[in-house]
Amino acid sequence: MNTELFLFRRVSFQYGEEIILDNFSLEIERGDVIAFKGESGSGKTTILKLLLGFEQPDSGEIRYKEEPMNAETVKQLRRESAWLPQDLNLGSGRVLDVIKFPLEFRNNNSQQFEKSKAESMLHELGLEPSVLEKNFRDLSTGQRQRIGLTICLLLDRPILFLDEPTSALDEESVSRVKEVLRKRDDRTVISTSHDPAWLEYCNRIIEIETKYQNQNR
Amino acid sequence: MDIIQLSWWQLGIGFLSLILPAIILWWYKTGLNKKLAVATLRMTVQLLFVGYYLEYLFELDNAWVNLAWIMVMVVVADFATIDRSELNRTWSLIIPIFGATFFGIILIDLFFLELVIRLPQFLQAQYAIPVTGMVLGNCLRSNVIGINDFYYSLKENRERYHFYLAAGATRQEALYPFYQRALKRSANPTIATMATIGLVSLPGMMTGQILSGSSPMTAIMYQIMIMLAIFSGTILSVFLAINWSNRFVFSDTDKLDKRILKD
Repeated sequence: MNTELFLFRRVSFQYGEEIILDNFSLEIERGDVIAFKGESGSGKTTILKLLLGFEQPDSGEIRYKEEPMNAETVKQLRRESAWLPQDLNLGSGRVLDVIKFPLEFRNNNSQQFEKSKAESMLHELGLEPSVLEKNFRDLSTGQRQRIGLTICLLLDRPILFLDEPTSALDEESVSRVKEVLRKRDDRTVISTSHDPAWLEYCNRIIEIETKYQNQNR
Repeated sequence: MDIIQLSWWQLGIGFLSLILPAIILWWYKTGLNKKLAVATLRMTVQLLFVGYYLEYLFELDNAWVNLAWIMVMVVVADFATIDRSELNRTWSLIIPIFGATFFGIILIDLFFLELVIRLPQFLQAQYAIPVTGMVLGNCLRSNVIGINDFYYSLKENRERYHFYLAAGATRQEALYPFYQRALKRSANPTIATMATIGLVSLPGMMTGQILSGSSPMTAIMYQIMIMLAIFSGTILSVFLAINWSNRFVFSDTDKLDKRILKD
């Protein structure tokens, strides 16, 4: 069985005048737990956004399961993935409703929302069940990050995209997150991070050069 | 009740009321006097033009000509919506906003003019033009608030939109919270007006009708009807303007075309 999940082939991406990726090539296999490491602005998050179809490469090719990325494959991927942005703001509303909302999308009908499941997931991530009754707006960045992760985990997708998932978490929370993620080992995790505690969890670390080096290559 | 006709001479005297406020603005160096002069001149010329035109329109009173005039009003409102908002004039916005406003207005006009008032003549100018004008003016204000809020909050909260998309949402599902916010913002002013009308101020249309000799009760009934028309017309046109423009400003992978935004 072919293990190739994603393939970047000589991908270049520019944001205005700024070259973010230049001739970038990479293969990501099923089950990889990857972290892209690099200075801010080096293009780590862009790689994740290119994979999810939120950005389009200027040249080169991206493949998902050996198929070129297009509107169809992007839709398929988004049914098999979840993405946790670094600064997640899900508006104002009761946390319970905030968690329920994505689970009720038409494509997610198979994931019936169970409050008890959400509560135990929150517990594993170090959050009290009472957080469900709070307003999302009033939560700290770290709590918001864990609520976002709870949603991603309740969706139970084989591919997770995590952008600096531990940036607002303390040491204990980081180890809880790692512990929860380790429970499912067939999952592909594609992340960006500079947190040593997180990097230690990943089995592939890919250093992204800054744009200036890319430009001179 | 007889109407006291205003003569040009009397209207001229009315302009004298500007002298005191102009002195106050000049004394405090607000720099507004030139603007005031231009605005007063524009108001007078524009309204005189419309007055002459409407007299002609009323005399002609042809449903097709009235419909054409309504279309002209909608086109002007369409460009004004985009210019007053922080969005760029692109065809992907001009056409759907025109369509939405026109459809909203025509639906409301047909309902209120033909079903409620039951005009003896289809789109009779004396009723169709002022009612359309009042509804359209409010649609314009609400569209500016609604469309602007929708696209700029989408830009500011891109991560939220992406989060939903990556979780398997269809574009419309991922846009749901942005619709919610934009609709709330554009509906609130009209709801607030409806809640205080008559207590805080007497609405312009009602005042006009009373001045021109209608009984206060008739004027109030028309005013209630126009408020209903305004509310329904604005919500319908805001919703349709957002929904129809959505079809032209996203890529097939749901990326917003940033050319519609000004910065």
